[in-house]
Amino acid sequence: MSDAITSEAPGSDHEEHEHAHPKFLAHHFDTPAQQFDTAKLGMWAFLAQELLFFSGLFVAYGIYRSWYPETFAVCSHLLSRPMGGANTIVLLFSSWTAAMAVRCAQLGQQKNTSRFLIVTIICAFMFLFIKYLEYGHKFHEGLLPGNYFGHQYGGIFGSIPADAEVPDLPAKAHIYFGIYFIMTGVHALHVMVGIGVLIWIWRRNERGEFSKEYFTPVDIAALYWHLVDLIWIYLFPLLYLID
Amino acid sequence: MSAENLHDRSVHAPVEIHQDDGAVHVHIASAKFYVAIFLALVCLTLLTIGVAYVPLGKMNLVVAVVIASTKAALVATFFMHLRHEAKFNVLMFIGALLFIGVFFAYTMNDTERRGELDDAQGVEVFSETGKAAPGGQPVMSHEDDEHMPRHLATGGSEVK
Repeated sequence: MSDAITSEAPGSDHEEHEHAHPKFLAHHFDTPAQQFDTAKLGMWAFLAQELLFFSGLFVAYGIYRSWYPETFAVCSHLLSRPMGGANTIVLLFSSWTAAMAVRCAQLGQQKNTSRFLIVTIICAFMFLFIKYLEYGHKFHEGLLPGNYFGHQYGGIFGSIPADAEVPDLPAKAHIYFGIYFIMTGVHALHVMVGIGVLIWIWRRNERGEFSKEYFTPVDIAALYWHLVDLIWIYLFPLLYLID
Repeated sequence: MSAENLHDRSVHAPVEIHQDDGAVHVHIASAKFYVAIFLALVCLTLLTIGVAYVPLGKMNLVVAVVIASTKAALVATFFMHLRHEAKFNVLMFIGALLFIGVFFAYTMNDTERRGELDDAQGVEVFSETGKAAPGGQPVMSHEDDEHMPRHLATGGSEVK
């Protein structure tokens, strides 16, 4: 749709300048459509990269689950299904609000865009808070990755006396929790980045930078947020719902 | 901001008829439609939780992954607008998924056969008979960890 300008008669230059050159249009793009398509292309390349990046963790998960199926089954029961389920719903809801924010931006409804962005951000914080409660519980139980497994911590800093009870777990449980913490940890990192991006987009929307004609940043930020949701959609059943 | 009505009907910007005015034309789905997708996602989440309590053996994993993939497809197709996305971008996304499949297949084809294959030389035992294969390494016991290459499988480090 935007590849028309290459070989035209001289004089087309003048025609180009007859178009109003909107403020949002960077000088190296001919048209808003070209700028939009370019942004989308870049974002999808980034998202494809994100999938490949996470796939390493999923392959590690696949290998160890197939090697130690019993360990994975037992350990997954130590995770809180209500909390994991609640977080799933929270993220799905935030994905919906992100999609609605984009829709409102496409329609030029600035206020509604802001509202949906704020709800999305609140959901993101809720997700992290629930995750914090879960992590805190695991720290307390000493269900930690690798060499830290079996060392119990009260809260983040205080340690629990050594005679505290250590749960009786199958061998290799530390591997399960290594995978659990890395996968959910890297995901949580993405949630944090997402919060930053969404706040930035919300502020720009408040400043009135977006319109029916130019909503690309809202769209792109929402794509990132949906990806965070996509990853969690797999993490929840794979980590929490074994047997 | 005059017409801030959330319940607008689906607005079909002319996607097919490209008047090449250089402006951005996108398909805008209705709010109702997005709500329906969200509700479908919630239902599938409840389904996957429910199915986890039904003992299906190895099928549990398959069912969980199928449901998760259905949810992911809903999110990607509609929330992420892949349905109306440029074909090349769709190709990139699907391509990444295919390469993840390759990653899984090649890696697990190795790791699932560590008991049968020597880490450096290849054939060690015939998996059917358990006897040493000609030209293979001498068969040693894998009592510590059958999955680890032999040089790594010394003394499982259990930290308690």
